[in-house]
Amino acid sequence: MTISIKPTASGSTIEQDGSTILTVDGSGNITPSNNLYPKVPAFIAYNDGTQSLSAATSTKLVFDHEEADTENAYDTTNYRYTPTVAGYYQINAKVYYTATSNPFVMLFKNSTNVNRLGGAGSGALGMQGGSALVYMNGTTDYLEVYAYNNLAITLGAGASNLMYFNGFLVSV
Amino acid sequence: MTLYEKITTLYTELTSDDFAPEGTIMLQNDSDGKGDYIKEWNHPTLAKPTQEQLDGIQ
Repeated sequence: MTISIKPTASGSTIEQDGSTILTVDGSGNITPSNNLYPKVPAFIAYNDGTQSLSAATSTKLVFDHEEADTENAYDTTNYRYTPTVAGYYQINAKVYYTATSNPFVMLFKNSTNVNRLGGAGSGALGMQGGSALVYMNGTTDYLEVYAYNNLAITLGAGASNLMYFNGFLVSV
Repeated sequence: MTLYEKITTLYTELTSDDFAPEGTIMLQNDSDGKGDYIKEWNHPTLAKPTQEQLDGIQ
C-alpha cells in the first residue's frame, strides 16, 4: 500500500494507492472520499395492527413489519432480533395498551426475562415500554419483547408508531 | 375458556398477583400458534395441574 500527500491549489489530498481518500483545504477542513461513519447494526420493527393479550399471560409481541434492518438480523416471522455483531445494544420498545391492569413490558434474552422495560398504573389506556442496554454475543443471543396484563385486552390501535421494537449497537 | 381461567377455576384461592411477573406462576404465549402454556409453576402449596385436570374443566 502506498500513501502519498499531494499539494493542490487550495490545500492537499491524501491518496492511497493513487486514489484520493481525504481532501484537506487551506483551513484544515478534512473531507473524506467515503462516509467516515461506519454502518452500525440497527433495526426498527413494528406492528401496525392489533394483538390480543390473554389475561395474566406473558405474550410475545408480534412485531411483524420492518422499517429498517441494516444487518438482516431481525426475524419478522419469529419476532426476534439476533444481531450478528457482538457488543452492547440499546434496545427500545413501546406497546399501546387499550386498558391497563398491572401491565408489564418485558425484554426477553434467549427466552428469559432480563429487563422490565416498563409498566405502571391500572385503568387507563396508554403507552408502556422503555429502554435497556444489553450485551449480545453476535452469534446465538436473541431478543424478544413480551407483554403482560392482569386482564385480557387488545394491544395496539392500528398505527405503526404505537407498537414498536428497535435497537442499535452502541459499543463493541 | 383460557388457561388462566381454567387454573383459577381449579384453584379459586389464586389471585392475579400469583401470575404477575413477580409471582409464583408464569403463563406464557410465544405467538407461535401453540397457545398459552404454563412456563413456570413455583407455587409453594398448590400442585401444578395436570393436563387431564385442565381438560376436565369446561
